[in-house]
Amino acid sequence: SAESKGAVANQPHPLEHSWTFWFDSGSSKTKQAEWGASMRPIYTFSTVEEFWSLYNNIHHPSTLAVGVDLYCFNHKIEPKWEDPVCANGGKWTVNFNRYKSDTCWLYTLLAMIGEQFDHGDEICGAVVNVRGKQERISLWTKNASNESAMVSIGKQWKEFLDHNETIGFIFHDDAEKYAKNAKNRYTV
Amino acid sequence: DNQEGDGCTAKKYSRDFLLKFADQYTSLPEAFEVTSDIAEVFTYGVTISRSVGRDHH
Repeated sequence: SAESKGAVANQPHPLEHSWTFWFDSGSSKTKQAEWGASMRPIYTFSTVEEFWSLYNNIHHPSTLAVGVDLYCFNHKIEPKWEDPVCANGGKWTVNFNRYKSDTCWLYTLLAMIGEQFDHGDEICGAVVNVRGKQERISLWTKNASNESAMVSIGKQWKEFLDHNETIGFIFHDDAEKYAKNAKNRYTV
Repeated sequence: DNQEGDGCTAKKYSRDFLLKFADQYTSLPEAFEVTSDIAEVFTYGVTISRSVGRDHH
């Protein structure tokens, strides 16, 4: 039994939710139609200890290859617009220069898994997109039309990151229709 | 946990609390294998995809 191994002394700290790291490599991303085809779940964790075991062995944004997307999502939710939970959602996004997002990526993950958001139940997960000149972290949420909850999440996120610039919230619907021309529906 | 409530029962951990564990858990979870399709995510020093079926008895 576990007792015989002294497991009591190292009792793990369970998280409120299980979370899954996903990864989408840039290499096989060619057309929009194939988006998500190269998405791979890496590992699902449900304790503080498991989180660090994984986080300490995976690349942080600054050392990931250009083109890679790294996700950490509630394990019941696939990081895709098509997922029924994400379908009516949206995202807050913070942009960083290349090599500058590592700390904010970690702080985003810790705030999420530590349930620091008042409307944490509205959060699907976080993603960092590593691109040639920038790293972009987005926080995906469930009900984009719930303005008060979305604004609360955006404001709290900025506090956790100690980020002073204005950030915008885009509905997935708009992103799908207008791509890069999608306009912010909320800003904080 | 079947209690209802606005997050009253949530397992909340502050950033400072979580960071205390950062240096204590540096090895990959036991029994976790890094397969070649996800190897790109892992830092150097992590063993990639040992032979399939290694754990079969």
